[in-house]
Amino acid sequence: MIAAPKPTRVDAQPPGAPAIQVQGLVKTYRSQREGTVRALEEIDFTVADGEFICIVGPSGCGKSTLLKILAGIVPHSVGTVLVRGKAPRDADNRLGLVFQAPVLLPWRTVLQNTLLPAQVLGLDRAASQARAHELLRMVGLEQFAASYPSELSGGMQQRCSITRALLHDPSILLMDEPFGALDAMTRDTMNLELQRIWRESGKTIFLITHSIPEAVFLADRVLVMSPRPGRIIEEIRIDLPRPRDLDTMSEPVFAEAVRHIRRLFGIGAQDRPHVD
Amino acid sequence: MSIESAARAAVARPEPRAGLSLRRLLDRSLGLISFVLLVAALEAGLWLFGVPDYVLPRPSQIFLALVRGFAPPILSPSQYYVNIGTTLIEAVASFVLGSAFGTLAGALIVEFRSVRRLALPYIVGLQSVPKVALAPLFVVWFGFGIESKILLGVLLTFFPLLINTAAGFSAVERDRLELMTSLKAKAWTTFWMVKFPSALPFIFAGLEMAAVYSILGAVVGEFVGGNSGLGVLILNRNAAMDIAGSLAALVILAVMGIALQRAVAFARQRVLFWAPSNDALDTRDPE
Ligand SMILES: Nc1ncnc2c1ncn2[C@@H]1O[C@H](COP(=O)(O)OP(=O)(O)O)[C@@H](O)[C@H]1O
Ligand SMILES: [Mg+2]
Repeated sequence: MIAAPKPTRVDAQPPGAPAIQVQGLVKTYRSQREGTVRALEEIDFTVADGEFICIVGPSGCGKSTLLKILAGIVPHSVGTVLVRGKAPRDADNRLGLVFQAPVLLPWRTVLQNTLLPAQVLGLDRAASQARAHELLRMVGLEQFAASYPSELSGGMQQRCSITRALLHDPSILLMDEPFGALDAMTRDTMNLELQRIWRESGKTIFLITHSIPEAVFLADRVLVMSPRPGRIIEEIRIDLPRPRDLDTMSEPVFAEAVRHIRRLFGIGAQDRPHVD
Repeated sequence: MSIESAARAAVARPEPRAGLSLRRLLDRSLGLISFVLLVAALEAGLWLFGVPDYVLPRPSQIFLALVRGFAPPILSPSQYYVNIGTTLIEAVASFVLGSAFGTLAGALIVEFRSVRRLALPYIVGLQSVPKVALAPLFVVWFGFGIESKILLGVLLTFFPLLINTAAGFSAVERDRLELMTSLKAKAWTTFWMVKFPSALPFIFAGLEMAAVYSILGAVVGEFVGGNSGLGVLILNRNAAMDIAGSLAALVILAVMGIALQRAVAFARQRVLFWAPSNDALDTRDPE
């Protein structure tokens, strides 16, 4: 469904190559108050093409920094970072990016916001329009195409930011706590929706969350990070069949994975589900 | 409360619209009513105490001066029309030019570090000079015509636009810029699609100030040395001890100022329909 209106993909890559390769990554910030801040320490991981990766870790451990490095927004200090075999800043790497806040442009309608990447990348107008309408239909926003962001609820705005991230059909989607600001019910719906989008489109998804159950529910693999300076302290493969639904959450494998990650953070199994 | 009025209130309650619209009408005409009362009180007071015309004329005399001034047909070379035309041209020209240069300079200063390094010391220096003090020099350099007044007005309107535009470009939400960076957008694309629209509320705040300054520049320039304009008219009337004529010119200046400000506010409403109004002096009904 999502791949239906054709050739907008701007970043095809050789099959089998990893989507993301990170080796010996170190990131230090220079800040006015604290001098140099070591945000990330010796990070190594690889993400296969089409894989769904979730990152969990305590607040301030460098999750957003890692994502911004992958997006080419922030330069890294030491190590190798390859996105689709190229530097993150390479002009070919036009990833889909979703923030915790919707970051819609208030002077643009929902449709115009969705079409932003098409304008930036100079994609074909008619094809992009068709695809935008299709994406808006998919997330239930087609009646609001002509509305302005201020007229939408937070959940609707976030759905619009997802259609924008998908418009140019990027092969990699980076998401930084995309559902953190939503209520629990909307969040469940969005998780199911995201899983469906991922399965139908074959995209690689790299998603940061502070909810351990959300990570286990969505991911093929969960990367667990330590407090600052952030390192990856464990990789947990989640062997739950797809498609997963809300019943998946009551399966023993699910519960065991959640409990295991909580223990890594030193939280008792009875504790609250959120790390931070 | 009498029984009758209580009964009336009870009857009126099922139709709150009638009461509401009456209150609204009152609310809206409050300004007009108080103005009429003020003028009437002034008129009566000045007449009662026998204040002489050459100190403070009565409102009716100012009104008569206005009527006399506007009486000749439009195309005749009446003092009024020529003077109003001169000041209006000076004000509008300096508003347009000063705003354009100020916006451009503000954007360049934020966008290019080298421009900032090069120009900022001069700008800070110039900004601390009281600009109207330059008016006599401008008359020497650029003559008694409208050029010297327009240049003074440009200098006055330039700075609010520069400062506000620079603030606007510096305040663009970081997430918006990061979104564009993740798409590897060209600098120019990011400028037009994100930065400039994001800075528009600040730019309009600057334009509202510029509307006032542009008229100030014109009048001060005319005071210092000019052969036409409302500033010149005020000087002439003063010299003739015609205070009513002087105040009449002031009334015209006030109307001109309000008109310019309303024009900016109208444009703001059109362009910034998406931005919440932060106008503390906005008296329109909250709808
Ligand atoms: N631009 C910056 N300058 C200096 N320090 C920063 C900057 N951005 C983030 N940091 C620091 O780096 C650390 C990691 O931040 P971040 O990646 O946002 O963590 P997380 O997303 O896991 O909460 C924090 O301690 C933060 O203070
Ligand atoms: Mg973060």
